Amino acid sequence: MKLVRDTRLLAWRRSLQLLRNPVWLFVSLTVPLLYLALFTPLLKDVPVAPGVGGNVLDEFLPGILALLAFTSGANAGFSTLFELQAGVIERFRVTPASRLALLLGPLVSGMASMFIFDLVLLVVGVLFGFHVHVPGLLVLAVLLALFYLTMAAFSTAVALLTKEITGFAAIVNGINLPLMLLAGVLLPISLGPGWMGVLAHFNPLYYLVTAARTLALDTFSDGALWQAFAVLTPLCVVSLAWATRVYRRAVA
Amino acid sequence: MTNVIEARELRKRFKARGATVEAVRGVSFTVPQGEIFGFLGPNGAGKTTTLRMLTTLLTIDEGEARVAGLDVASAAAKVRQQIGYVSQLGGADNLATGRENLMLQGRLYGRERADVAARVEELLDLLDLASFAERQVKTYSGGQKRRLDVALGIVHEPQVLFLDEPTTGLDPQNRANLWQHVRTLRDRGVTVFLTTHYLEEADALCDRVTIIDDGTIVAEGSPRELKRDIVGDAVVLRVGDEDGTRARVETLLADAPFVRSTTQAEDGELHCYVDDGPAALPELLRRFDAAQITLRAISLSEPTLDDVFLAKTGRSLRDREAGAAA
Repeated sequence: MKLVRDTRLLAWRRSLQLLRNPVWLFVSLTVPLLYLALFTPLLKDVPVAPGVGGNVLDEFLPGILALLAFTSGANAGFSTLFELQAGVIERFRVTPASRLALLLGPLVSGMASMFIFDLVLLVVGVLFGFHVHVPGLLVLAVLLALFYLTMAAFSTAVALLTKEITGFAAIVNGINLPLMLLAGVLLPISLGPGWMGVLAHFNPLYYLVTAARTLALDTFSDGALWQAFAVLTPLCVVSLAWATRVYRRAVA
Repeated sequence: MTNVIEARELRKRFKARGATVEAVRGVSFTVPQGEIFGFLGPNGAGKTTTLRMLTTLLTIDEGEARVAGLDVASAAAKVRQQIGYVSQLGGADNLATGRENLMLQGRLYGRERADVAARVEELLDLLDLASFAERQVKTYSGGQKRRLDVALGIVHEPQVLFLDEPTTGLDPQNRANLWQHVRTLRDRGVTVFLTTHYLEEADALCDRVTIIDDGTIVAEGSPRELKRDIVGDAVVLRVGDEDGTRARVETLLADAPFVRSTTQAEDGELHCYVDDGPAALPELLRRFDAAQITLRAISLSEPTLDDVFLAKTGRSLRDREAGAAA
């Protein structure tokens, strides 16, 4: 099928570029590893998860995985901007390649590198006492993929519409911090006052983080899991459809 | 001969900060197969906007365009299969090699790997890319990169190749080299549509030129026809200022029926445009002799496309070029 073929070609192209410029690999891994190294120790005596025993990483690492999906998705637009300014996107737009494939190619590549980072984080986590529950992590991978695609498609579309770095960075950074703080990535929202909990329900990242925590414990019956799928699946469809539309329309 | 490009009353408006700017205002032209067709005009004249409409990159607000017999608005996907496009930026992947760039481009047109590989060999040879095909594009010189850009535009053997300002930023040697490659493509039957703001490029490379200014076409024809029909030949005169000689010369020129017009250049030379230079020159000399006017110098000069632009718009393209560079 044309869409699959074109996506594969474009994903491979992007991956090849990433491999030839490996500096970014280390940069991208540094942030989550720093969180693990410099934030986890602070949580030692904080009652993060009432009623749940075990290692503090069981609470915290799923949040870091969610955060990684969020930031790598949100940053996807930077390479779009770069390629837009270098004329690469225009060159592809005059070929008969599938428009959805133009969008998905880099996204599939970015998702693959995200999963590689996730594995590295899990390995480091295990070394410090994280308990691996494979079925839960596999379902979590689906949610992370959904969330990454949502954010990355959104970020790509914003990049195509703003066309330059200042406008793009303002929008992406503008949504980054509030979404992150209102998701309970670092500390559970339940520690805060009630209004924060209410606000958090308007934040898609909150659903991912909450579901990630339950899945890391291999709990499938929790309502948070179904809520996360119910919120993130339609959001992902809408985001991809919008970004494809932006790709199809004029990019002056 | 069939027309590969047909544009009828094309219009395009842009909204910028509340104001609407009409970038292209009713442009019509046709390009027959196998021709190098040039769009000449200053920056902001609407050249690139027109080209982007023809290449499916911009929607057409009004009017109609057919490329390779297909309607650009309703059959965009089919048009893309028939055209090649090289933007001002080129857009090759810097981290990939020339060969990798070409392979991917060919495969995005739906061709199979072996098929593309054979075509890539042909292109490496045709555009002299073979010696650096395995190097990453970031190591290429300006001329090498430009030739790769052109190769990327024709990897799928399109009927029409669109080149947007193809030689901007190239040194004279690389420019002449690229011109030669473009001529080779034309000789192989590819129709080439290019935009340029270089007078020399339009003159030396294009079979036919359309001069565009402020979103409208002001002149169209072969460089030779344009120069002959619009300006004719130029007789350049240098006269001294003593005893009102200049005024007497100007009166004499104004009275001569075969002189179309006279303009004074910045250096004080008089440019007097006539239909037939070789016939006009002796006649002018006779008249000056009879009026006992002594000239410092008189010469017959070939008009340039800049003279055409000047005659049609009252402005010089060269001034703008210099202004833009400053």
